[in-house]
Amino acid sequence: MAKFPWMKFAILAVALPALTLPVACFSYIVWQGLPSLNWQIFSGQGMSGFGLENGLYGQLTGSLLLMLGAAAIAAPVAIGTALFSRLYLNNRLRTHIITLLHLMQGIPPIVYGLCGLVVFVHILHWGISLLAGMLILAIIIMPVLVLNSLHALERIPLEHTEAASSLGLTDAQLIYRVWLPEAWPAMLTGLLLGMARALSETAPILFTATVFSGVIWPESLFEPVTSLQTHIFYLAQEGANAQVVGIAWGAATLLIGLILLFSSSALLLRRMDKRQRIGP
Amino acid sequence: MSSKRSISPISPSAAKAAVAQERSSRPAYSLSMQGLYLQLDGQDILTDMTLQLPPGITALIGPSGAGKSSLLRCMNRLHEHWTGDIDICGISIRDMDADTLRRQAGLIGQKPAVFPCSIRENVIFGLPRQQRNSVSDAAIHKTLTQAALWQEASDRLHADARTLSIGQQQRLFLARALILNPSFLMLDEPTSALDPRSRDIIERSLKKIGRHIPLLWVTHDLEQAKRISEHVIFICDGKLIEQADADSFFARPAAIESREFLRWNVCDCD
Repeated sequence: MAKFPWMKFAILAVALPALTLPVACFSYIVWQGLPSLNWQIFSGQGMSGFGLENGLYGQLTGSLLLMLGAAAIAAPVAIGTALFSRLYLNNRLRTHIITLLHLMQGIPPIVYGLCGLVVFVHILHWGISLLAGMLILAIIIMPVLVLNSLHALERIPLEHTEAASSLGLTDAQLIYRVWLPEAWPAMLTGLLLGMARALSETAPILFTATVFSGVIWPESLFEPVTSLQTHIFYLAQEGANAQVVGIAWGAATLLIGLILLFSSSALLLRRMDKRQRIGP
Repeated sequence: MSSKRSISPISPSAAKAAVAQERSSRPAYSLSMQGLYLQLDGQDILTDMTLQLPPGITALIGPSGAGKSSLLRCMNRLHEHWTGDIDICGISIRDMDADTLRRQAGLIGQKPAVFPCSIRENVIFGLPRQQRNSVSDAAIHKTLTQAALWQEASDRLHADARTLSIGQQQRLFLARALILNPSFLMLDEPTSALDPRSRDIIERSLKKIGRHIPLLWVTHDLEQAKRISEHVIFICDGKLIEQADADSFFARPAAIESREFLRWNVCDCD
């Protein structure tokens, strides 16, 4: 490197956009959105049109319901899949499954949305509903949860598994006495990242779960909801109306805040887990 | 300390008689295998292994990749895809419940695997839940004393087991197997990662344990094998080459491969 002092600057020049662009985008959104974040846009007092009569309360609860539902459906299935694969599948089959999960991660979310529209909305006659949205989001976050859980299980030292088996622990005991106590922080980290992903998806819920306005709290799983993501999409189309676009920025700031909350919690957990592994 | 103790002389024949008497007082326990074959990923790991495990401490020696660890893992069914017979007291281990078998046939690995809980919880880890709740302090004391860890751990039984040194963790590993009251113990190079002092402590405690239950001790260290074992099983390339009394094996090995291994620490079985 000493031979090529300009190399450092060349690499920096290449890396700079990757570092600065997200920070610039984030700063711009917050700069635009923060002034709009006040009690009025949550309560909807004195506002009319564009689904703003009830404020962002309905959208916020809709987004959170979709995210929590997706996590509740995906987490047990993902952890179960990872445990089964670690316990009973050979390396070759496990590698195939991991490849498949990586492929699933690459499928565009709109394609999942289309599948959800056909299967849940039309074939199963659920209509545009909270349940359809939860399921589609669960399917979308499933690969990342399974991969993360598998990774968490693979990080458990083989000696621990072998020592536990040598003591005569059954498979179930091995899972709940050795694997889960050691792997849960990493699994929870993955779940929080998955929840952040579910919160950021717009396309799949656009035509499976959400309506433009009129829902504050769905009465059943078969009712549609409103969400922050799709609300931003609708409001952004009203580019000529400064107040409406301002509220879209506010909603975007709120959404980013929530995503950051989940992502940073995941980061914190990961650090705690690392420290725990190193030991006191 | 300049005090001198008078030691009464024992004749060689009396010493032999004492050893024979001690050996005959050991509980009868037999482990044998016939025609054991193991293949992993299409590779022959063990081939036509037929042997009988004698009472006392048996050193299982052989070059790296000979199949020593795999043999231990077959004996407590951590490896399941083998053919042939392994019998314990005349009962095929395939007919035994795997979890019960593993409690009977304790396996101590090379690296100490302590679980992220207290020393006490680590000791009782393998016990069934009812026993874990009702285990007495006396039982913990006895087990940790057997594993030569009581003196160092008695005042911090509720401390995180990971705070122990590697040597102490290995003894904790041993205590965890001993509290299950195993019928025999398999040791897969239990001292290879330890300093000489910890190694000596473990050797001493295992020698005492070896008076009561058979031990099958995998080791790369021929000096250690000489120190600890009464019998030697020498395997190479997945095949049994020689099984003999330790004294005769080290003094007059019968097989050419054994002589080669004792001399050069390598074996060319092909």
